Amino acid sequence: MKRIAFFFLLFLASQTVHSWKKDEFRACDQTPFCKRARFRKPGSCTLIATDVSISDGDLTAKLVPKAQQDHDQDPIKPLTLSVSVYQDGILRLKIDEDPSLDPPKKRFQVPDVILPEFESKKLWLQSASTEKLDGNIAGLSSVVYLSDGYEAVLRHDPFEVYVREKAGNRRVVSLNSHGLFDFEQLRVKKEDEDWEERFRGHTDTRPYGPQSISFDVSFYESDFVYGIPEHASSFALKPTRGPGVEESEPYRLFNLDVFEYVHDSPFGIYGSIPFMVSHGKSGKSSGFFWLNAAEMQIDVLAKGWDAEDGILMPIDQNRIDTFWMTEAGIVDTFFFIGPGPKDVVKQYMSVTGLPAMPQLFSTAYHQCRWNYRDEEDVENVDSKFDEHDIPYDVLWLDIEHTDGKRYFTWDKLLFPHPEEMQRKLAAKGRHMVTIVDPHIKRDDSFDLHKDASQRGYYVKDATGKDFDGWCWPGSSSYPDVLNPEIRSWWSEKFSYKNYVGSTPSLYIWNDMNEPSVFNGPEVTMPRDVLHLGGVEHRELHNAYGYYFHMATADGLVKRGDGKDRPFVLSRAFFAGSQRYGAVWTGDNSADWDHLRVSVPMILSLGLTGMSFSGADVGGFFGNPEPELLVRWYQLGAYYPFFRGHAHHDTKRREPWLFGERNTALMRDAIRIRYTLLPYFYTLFREANVTGVPVVRPLWMEFPSDEAAFSNDEAFMVGNSLLVQGIYETRAKHASVYLPGKESWYDLRTGTAYKGGKTHKLEVSEESIPAFQRAGTIVPRKDRFRRSSTQMMHDPFTLVIALNTFQEAEGELYLDDGKSFDFKQGAYIHRCEGR
Amino acid sequence: MKLYFTCILLVFCIASFVRSSSSATKHLFLGISPQDLNYYKSSSDTIKCKDGSKKFSKSQLNDDFCDCPDGTDEPGTSACPNSKFYCQNAGHVSQFLFSSRVNDGICDCCDGSDEYDGKVKCPNTCWEAGKVARDRLMKKIGTYSEGVTLRKREIELAKVGIAKDEAELMKLKNEEKILKGLVEQLKEHKEQIEKAEEKERLQKEKEENEKRKAEEALRETGKAEEEGKVENEKVEQEASNEDKTKESTHDDKIGNIEDSFVNEGTEEDVNKGDPSNKVENSYTSKTEGVPLNREEEHVLDKKHESASPRHNDDSAVSTEVDEEAGSKVSSGEDKKTENEASEITEGLSREELGRRIASRWTGESTENEGGIKHDTDDSHEEMHKDEHDEEEYDNYASDSDEEETGKYADDIEDDADDEADEGYEEENHDDSTSSKYDIDDESYLSETNSSNNPSWLEKIQRTFRNVLDAVNLFKTPVNISDASHIRKEYDQASAKLSKIQSRMSSLTQKLEHDFGPEKEFYAFYDRCFEIKQNKYVYKVCPYKQASQEEGHSTTRLGRWDKFEDGYKMMVFSNGDKCWNGPDRSMKVKLRCGLKNEITDVDEPSRCEYVAILSTPALCLEDKLKELQDKLDLMNKEQPREHDEL
Repeated sequence: MKRIAFFFLLFLASQTVHSWKKDEFRACDQTPFCKRARFRKPGSCTLIATDVSISDGDLTAKLVPKAQQDHDQDPIKPLTLSVSVYQDGILRLKIDEDPSLDPPKKRFQVPDVILPEFESKKLWLQSASTEKLDGNIAGLSSVVYLSDGYEAVLRHDPFEVYVREKAGNRRVVSLNSHGLFDFEQLRVKKEDEDWEERFRGHTDTRPYGPQSISFDVSFYESDFVYGIPEHASSFALKPTRGPGVEESEPYRLFNLDVFEYVHDSPFGIYGSIPFMVSHGKSGKSSGFFWLNAAEMQIDVLAKGWDAEDGILMPIDQNRIDTFWMTEAGIVDTFFFIGPGPKDVVKQYMSVTGLPAMPQLFSTAYHQCRWNYRDEEDVENVDSKFDEHDIPYDVLWLDIEHTDGKRYFTWDKLLFPHPEEMQRKLAAKGRHMVTIVDPHIKRDDSFDLHKDASQRGYYVKDATGKDFDGWCWPGSSSYPDVLNPEIRSWWSEKFSYKNYVGSTPSLYIWNDMNEPSVFNGPEVTMPRDVLHLGGVEHRELHNAYGYYFHMATADGLVKRGDGKDRPFVLSRAFFAGSQRYGAVWTGDNSADWDHLRVSVPMILSLGLTGMSFSGADVGGFFGNPEPELLVRWYQLGAYYPFFRGHAHHDTKRREPWLFGERNTALMRDAIRIRYTLLPYFYTLFREANVTGVPVVRPLWMEFPSDEAAFSNDEAFMVGNSLLVQGIYETRAKHASVYLPGKESWYDLRTGTAYKGGKTHKLEVSEESIPAFQRAGTIVPRKDRFRRSSTQMMHDPFTLVIALNTFQEAEGELYLDDGKSFDFKQGAYIHRCEGR
Repeated sequence: MKLYFTCILLVFCIASFVRSSSSATKHLFLGISPQDLNYYKSSSDTIKCKDGSKKFSKSQLNDDFCDCPDGTDEPGTSACPNSKFYCQNAGHVSQFLFSSRVNDGICDCCDGSDEYDGKVKCPNTCWEAGKVARDRLMKKIGTYSEGVTLRKREIELAKVGIAKDEAELMKLKNEEKILKGLVEQLKEHKEQIEKAEEKERLQKEKEENEKRKAEEALRETGKAEEEGKVENEKVEQEASNEDKTKESTHDDKIGNIEDSFVNEGTEEDVNKGDPSNKVENSYTSKTEGVPLNREEEHVLDKKHESASPRHNDDSAVSTEVDEEAGSKVSSGEDKKTENEASEITEGLSREELGRRIASRWTGESTENEGGIKHDTDDSHEEMHKDEHDEEEYDNYASDSDEEETGKYADDIEDDADDEADEGYEEENHDDSTSSKYDIDDESYLSETNSSNNPSWLEKIQRTFRNVLDAVNLFKTPVNISDASHIRKEYDQASAKLSKIQSRMSSLTQKLEHDFGPEKEFYAFYDRCFEIKQNKYVYKVCPYKQASQEEGHSTTRLGRWDKFEDGYKMMVFSNGDKCWNGPDRSMKVKLRCGLKNEITDVDEPSRCEYVAILSTPALCLEDKLKELQDKLDLMNKEQPREHDEL
């Protein structure tokens, strides 16, 4: 009887089987640090900067409370503050507890994200000038040189740090202008205190108690802010708090494996990059990056949110205020002065590194499915591509290819001859990718597990035992990839000797590295799990996937004796992941909304360094109608990372399965990508050298064109092509805004359209709107082959679109497409003009 | 790093990138098929693009630059995406390649002619490859020519079979008509008798008081009379079963044919009575079971039966099981869905929670699973099987088993009264009857057609007359033996009528099916084909259903839908629902082969199955001719060097 009643209850709750389970994730008001921080009032920070001096080339100070504290409160110990200045207009601000005052624990600083060579770009500060602010206020400020035309300012009372243009005293970026700064210092637990936090049956022991940090950051000359992926939301970040904003969550940065994420939400999904870029009418951009891997929540504040707070802010500058909160870690922040959008990106990359140069094949089309079942299936799919004369470069194998989800193994029944299978593909110049996830099956007969547990390489639970979580293989443990030694151990597993059945044409896919733990809180690892040196998982959570990605990519480099560029696709990411490979937007759904949101998601990723990104073409969950699938291929052909993928419950959807007409349409879409491969490869090189993403927002190329600022329907591929998706069924028309003064030529028909206006265009099923800008040259290869490998020796076609001065410019970059020889100059790069 | 500073401004020339095509003259007519050669060798200097859109000069032919949108000018290069490259492949089959294959570094033509730019050297493998292909082709031709004969025979048989079916149907129609009349009359008689009996009873009651003393004597007399009757009729019968006795009585009168009906009933009873049949669907146990319940005089008929395949009864019974179990399974699945949706996760163990969350992606069940299932190391197994199905199914199957066993037990008891529970009979009737008829067609027809013996209908009519003659309806008191006789006759006749009717409807249904343009699939009716793959048995019953069996559980993969693809494919749709997926379906691709057998089953998309069935029905004469022509062609085109050998 009981059982029946239980069933009945469950039945009532079954209405939302296919939707995001919002309740299973912590909202801000269920997250104590976030809830508390959001209640803080502007001006409540009482810290002032004292002992300001120059030491070791930095501007340093102590932050102490201005007023004497009440005796019954905990004593606030002074915090250390340092301001450093780096080449190209970068200010770094660090605030931490003073190690000389014996804090209970060293707070975590995220290692191995900042490039080692970044330190060499530090400008050694010699002196600071002191100025009195606005005459009548008692406060003093210390001013140091930042770069030509820019200064960094530390106001002492109340403490505030900002960057300004020397000319006209115009501010760029500031921190704590609204006095929201708060830094919970580590302390000893009092007897009556309960530090534990509970969420949906999970208990977080929080042995170190509260340690959150929050502060406000303001961007000047700014109309919109962008970045801080990963969210399925608009590219220009909508305000989350303030006048006119309905109750909304802050943008959450917390890497999570979200089942069927929704297409318009500030909730956190697979990756986190705490880097925000602002842009405004002046055409100028600035940026702010907080190197912190704990859970972060960021509010974008609507204009007028501070109307009643009486804080004096410069009124002649358009400004966007933001509020940043994190659970743990330190303040280690970077201010980027711009002034152009590409400058901001470059500045950010000089801290976190430039995107890796991918292999040519990985910039072509990838075919994936959960799962291509066996060798026969693989052979079949491969030959069908040839039969239909559709090019593709990579065939992917999802988790089912393994022996019981033990990565680095093969199911002996389904894949008895993996090497032969790969060789067959390789004979046609094609490659294979297999999945390797971080959860290791706890099976004593599994060598990898034995090895890891004997060496003590697993992440430990709060009691010190190997953490045991549930994932695909069942009971699993996770390597502690924070530890460089363990990363090195992991990377050895990719050698041909260790990875039995792997060949040089095999590359890797890292999934589930948020990390996904099915029975953990919010489907991830408990925050009190322990890493190297007693670091709590809460402190590094957002970077776990990054370290795993890093170790895997290093493994592929080692495997090829440092000669072969790695290709590793990762789902989780953090600042710096661009150095290790590609990412994709995870488990999206086969609907028009997800097609639509893929563009802002990819734009946000590109803006924050992750140039090599894409969304699953067709949508992972569900069955796309043929029209949607065709539109997705047409759009996906312009994603930097172009892969079709599908859930195992879906119908087969390889491009030839929907009738001749649709096959032809998808073939055409894929072929467009192949003709443009020389252009894409050149753009990947540009990203590799400058950090400017392959796919970029319109305003990055047209910084003063206001109409482009919030346009996330269209995007630029390089500086020459503008592409806009068709996001609705049976579309007859599309409104396309073409920026700038020059004309644009329809890629397919060659028809010219005037720039600087919105065109209402007729839409056919054959293509989505795509244009080449007048004044550009786009290199192509117009011969179709089975895969990019065979295109190596094919002739180029240059499409030259002259501008009003009868001139055009373009670039072409070429190298061997796979080795690191380009680093020794084995490449050709041409910029052609006139 | 400073790439931009290394840029050189140049006036760009497209030609610098285009490979000079030095080899063009050498390969002027490369990639052109012999049939097409004249088109290019025309005397005039310009050639038209085949689509008529443009013209090009001879020097533009195969100059590695695409001039015609349709690729007419570049048959031998990769310059035009739409052109096709012809390779002769002497010794093998000639071939048209996509232009994308020309000079791409991969040898596609066995004569190597597609790779002529020197990047790779392609050996001529046509003779070797051709030999393999020829051998394969010859084998195929062998299969086809034999298959064509088989197919013809099959078609002949089908014609006869259909004619028989139609004849039978006609006959049945007649019989039905006559029998209907009989039944009507018997009914009248029966009612009259009943009335008379009632009257008699009332009269008796009245007389009871008066004849209280005589009562006992009277009753004894009645008994004696009855016994005497029974003894008389039951001459040679020694059946231990009292109830059977009554049937046998009729057998004598009605004759052999009637036996088959009665037997059939008996047989059904056996099926129903034996739950093991339900579960295992094994017909061996059934055929074993039958004789036990049979009387010796029926042995002859039986031989007939056991000699013919017994698929039909099985399928009929299993259909029954499937249907019930199937619907239950799906309701179980619903519940599963409910579980998946559970928002209540706090009470769960860590492991349960892990499974629950995992199941969202996998669509697998988490309910009631011990660790065993998920711990199975064979991932493909996990993928293929429907664990929840199995789980739920077990529960429900056992439930239904019990239920049905109970039902059957009842039936057996009811059988004592000769006619089983009507409702159930109806349900089961169609299939089992029809199959029975199909199988016994020959015997049935031969017996009914044999002119020496009077047909059963005549017999029954005669019996009827006898009965009527013998029974004086208007005599009171009613002869008890006469009354029961009439009643029995009525029961028999109406049962027979309903059997004839159901037989007619199943025959009509059968004949409505699409047996193919030449009725070549007629023999598929009432046949099932099986293949075992790993732990599953796939069973395809054309015109009925396709299923997947694992141990005791059966999942319906689809009900018969139609032929597709010009009778090259059978489609079964609307099978059991997949959790989080579509209704299961199966497509059976048909191939020419000498035996009717399933050679492969696959599940390319979740819950969408594809099987390959080889059958002579697909061995078409045209195709055979085509293959022979192909072989002739291949034998003609042998490369010279090999000729010399």
